[in-house]
Amino acid sequence: MSSEVLLEVEAITAFYGDFQALFGLSFQVRTAEVVALLGGNGAGKTTCLRVISGLLRPKSGRVRFLGQDITGLSPAEIVDLGIAHVPEGRQLFPEMSVEENLWLGSYLPRARKRRRENVARMFALFPRLAERRRQVAGTLSGGEQQMVAIARGMMSEPKLLLLDEPSLGLSPKLTEQTLAAVRELSKVVTVLIVEQKVMEGLEIADRGYVIENGKLVTEGAAAVLVADKGIREAYLGL
Amino acid sequence: MSRARFLPAVVFFGLLLTLPWWLRDAYLQQIVFRVVIFAILGIAWNLVGGYAGQLSLGHVAYFGIGAYSVALFHETWDWNPWLGTLAGVVLACLAALLIGSLTFRLRGPYFVLSTIAAAEILRLLALNLSFTHGAIGMIAPGFFEEPNGDRKTYYAALPLLFLAFALTVWTHRSRFGYYLRAIRENEDTAMAVGINPAVEKLKALLFSAALVAAAGALYAGVFQFIGPDSVLAIDMSVQMALIAMLGGAATVWGPIVGAVVLTVAAEALKTYLERAHTFFYGLLLVLVVLFLPGGLVSIAKQRWFRRTAPRAQAA
Repeated sequence: MSSEVLLEVEAITAFYGDFQALFGLSFQVRTAEVVALLGGNGAGKTTCLRVISGLLRPKSGRVRFLGQDITGLSPAEIVDLGIAHVPEGRQLFPEMSVEENLWLGSYLPRARKRRRENVARMFALFPRLAERRRQVAGTLSGGEQQMVAIARGMMSEPKLLLLDEPSLGLSPKLTEQTLAAVRELSKVVTVLIVEQKVMEGLEIADRGYVIENGKLVTEGAAAVLVADKGIREAYLGL
Repeated sequence: MSRARFLPAVVFFGLLLTLPWWLRDAYLQQIVFRVVIFAILGIAWNLVGGYAGQLSLGHVAYFGIGAYSVALFHETWDWNPWLGTLAGVVLACLAALLIGSLTFRLRGPYFVLSTIAAAEILRLLALNLSFTHGAIGMIAPGFFEEPNGDRKTYYAALPLLFLAFALTVWTHRSRFGYYLRAIRENEDTAMAVGINPAVEKLKALLFSAALVAAAGALYAGVFQFIGPDSVLAIDMSVQMALIAMLGGAATVWGPIVGAVVLTVAAEALKTYLERAHTFFYGLLLVLVVLFLPGGLVSIAKQRWFRRTAPRAQAA
């Protein structure tokens, strides 16, 4: 495993109005890793991704990417630096075609030049999308929509892909397929994945952080966490 | 892109250019002139309300700025109406920067209300300031000397319509248009892919305000009398939105179809409706939103091409 720290989240606190969602959360992602943020509903996982991608400003704490402090940069600047956020709930442009959704993923000049190659790459990874390239995205099935969302994220040629609950609302079979695609992607990009399905998340991750009520509960190698009795009881009902 | 796609535009502008040769009746010519003005307004509104999906009901603000600029600069410094138009366009752009940067922070109904408020502030200013002569209104200079002043003004309006139309065609096909549509469909995701919604929306509003202000200036030059209730009233804002939505929001031809249908219908019903026309517009707006979200253009598409674009539910 590579040792270079790609993303460093340092003691971030974040609020939605008066409600405090994160309490001094810290963690790291190293290059080429797949790191899972795990935890129940409302634990603060999504908030955490929103802070990293600049959609939400933290009250305190720092986010560093490749050693550079990116706290407070605009979402556009952060995308340009190489972080792509695939938001929760397959947030597509529903009335645009699959292809148009992908094009919009390469909004930035840096990635626009290689748009064609990147679209081809994504169609190779998700052959299903190639078949449906002209179909309106809102009419796709849940699993296909998730593929579009992930592919759109990859179109900006990120160094770090933030995936928010890619399995949300998907059947067990589709969850498995989607996570298999994520594992495939992790060969070319570092992944920070948020999952409520703890077991499935740990299956594709190298390391995991378990969050509860905006605080870090435990962390460790995925294999260790899977075997952890406390975690199995708390999240897997075993 | 096949050549046939340009045919409707060539025919449409050809008919407008040759109007005096095939339509001799002065009254009907006047209606066509009104169609042209309202088409410009609908097209301009469509950039913001259609493509970017920001339902402004305060666009009359820019119309009023254009109209009042022609009258005010003429009265104060004896500027000719062309210079007044230019000043109106510049002022409307400045107003758009201010109004846009304030109102675009808001979404949904809050945005709509804030645009109405911005336009109402201007109306109340025009009503209460001494140099705008309050409710009495102002005399505006004509653009051309008689004879045939109206016809010349008509020919001055056509390039503006063409400019507005060309801008829409460009928007429809360009990256800029995609960004606007992305913002309309999902503003948060647009941000997540790196689009800056505030900047793109403001760009659309600047184009839109400039066109609306120029149309307002033309209106002042033709009717030569303006007041807060004619060029700054909310009816005009509603009409701009209605024209675009009735014809088909975020389509190239929608606002033009809407302008033709609405102007002709309003003219035909004028004697029966009298002051009830605002009620008529309101009712029509509700009906279009409920039963014809794609506008009249969407019906034509279904009929002619037998190809219905599958409408998606928001994910």
